[in-house]
Amino acid sequence: MKHLKPLNKSAQTIDDAAAAGRLEEVHTMQAKVVAGCATVFDPGWEVDGFGGVASLCQPMEADLYGCADPCWWPAQVPDTMNTYPEFNAGSPSAARDWRNLQQVYPKK
Amino acid sequence: MNGTAILKTWAVAAVAAVLPLILPIHAAAKEYLITGTKPNLLFLIDLQARKVVRQYKIPKDGPPFSISASPDGKIAYVVTNHSGAVSGIDLDTGKEVFRAELPGRQELVKSIGGMTLSRDGKELFVMESVSKLLPGEYQVQPPRVAVYRTDAGLRAKPARTFNTPRRIAVLAPSTDGKILYGLGWDLYAFDAATGKLLNTQKFFNWDRPNSSRPDLLNFWPMYEQSEIYAAPYYYSRTDIPQNNPDSQKTGLLMLDLRTGKMSLVDFENTSATIFSAAVNPKNPKQVFGVYVTLSRINAGDSPKLEKRVFLDHSYYVIDISADGSECYLGGTMNDVAVYSTETMKKLGDIRLPGGGDMALSVLRIVHRP
Repeated sequence: MKHLKPLNKSAQTIDDAAAAGRLEEVHTMQAKVVAGCATVFDPGWEVDGFGGVASLCQPMEADLYGCADPCWWPAQVPDTMNTYPEFNAGSPSAARDWRNLQQVYPKK
Repeated sequence: MNGTAILKTWAVAAVAAVLPLILPIHAAAKEYLITGTKPNLLFLIDLQARKVVRQYKIPKDGPPFSISASPDGKIAYVVTNHSGAVSGIDLDTGKEVFRAELPGRQELVKSIGGMTLSRDGKELFVMESVSKLLPGEYQVQPPRVAVYRTDAGLRAKPARTFNTPRRIAVLAPSTDGKILYGLGWDLYAFDAATGKLLNTQKFFNWDRPNSSRPDLLNFWPMYEQSEIYAAPYYYSRTDIPQNNPDSQKTGLLMLDLRTGKMSLVDFENTSATIFSAAVNPKNPKQVFGVYVTLSRINAGDSPKLEKRVFLDHSYYVIDISADGSECYLGGTMNDVAVYSTETMKKLGDIRLPGGGDMALSVLRIVHRP
């Protein structure tokens, strides 16, 4: 843990709770994020498991909706399963329609 | 009629009498492929003609994900509506004849992959991941299988449910219908009638010496042609330096739905990623895997990669013809590619109307007139 630096509020909460001996009071992301959302930093989007790019989906657009739909990489691709179901509405083909896709922002 | 003619007549009659008993039941029907695309379309593909013969719009939102077909090939059940519903589409009329909305009261329920019909088509088993919606948080609940009667109509509710271990994303019935297999971290066998966990075959929790825990993507249910579920797994040998290619291994998990026997077959040092696999119905030791490449694997006594070819683009899923001569690649983009299993050459492709991505939609093959 000493080599990890908290970058957001949730991570700081874990650090504070660990320091106070109250770690069991902190609910990790897995307890708050609906089923399907990845909680791992698994290579496969930017680089493949071999550290290169040859084993990534080819082309990248082939994987875009396969990742958005099951909430596979919620940091890289908005999840259409729960949080942003309208993300690719009206754009059924990633290779053809990617220009229509918009960035998403936290809902207020 | 002379003696030779009598003998010939007898022989013809004898063969005709036993022929229906020895030929597989599929010989009387044609093979069709069912798959889906965004936004929420389902397609019936004549594999012999290599063309889409019917197109269906699944009501409400998509996209289509896991698919199970009734034993007579007449109804396709599809996980849809952002993995929050199951729709049953009559493939002859195009009408929705079954619908189950998964969310309950104050619950958020999603089905990620695991769905199958009972062998008699009367029950639908749906794997459910459940979160309770409390005022200030989501509270994770135990996952469960919800069992629906397939004659429950358009507002179907579960007839019963049973809790399961976590992470199951493939459900498959034994060929006698008595066992429901669920593949999560390990392989679980449930009594299909009661939901009781009968036994667990270790996979992720294996005791293999000098080996890391294996990694397997248990999403794809294309076992119907061979009655053997197969999926690739990856692991590291911990007794070999990690920068040595010999340390990284790829194998096949194979579950025979007739016997319940699970085999783990290492076949190569990891050289390519494979997403899903299908077993040749005519040769259960021959397995095909797909992702960026198409691989033909000998899973017999001396397991090895036989041949690997690069594809035009990546595919997630693969299925295979009943005679083992062709395999069908799908998922990701908008086409189903057809490859010869013998030459590993592309024989053609089938473009799906509307141009939408298949994404996670699986392939299932049915036999119907």
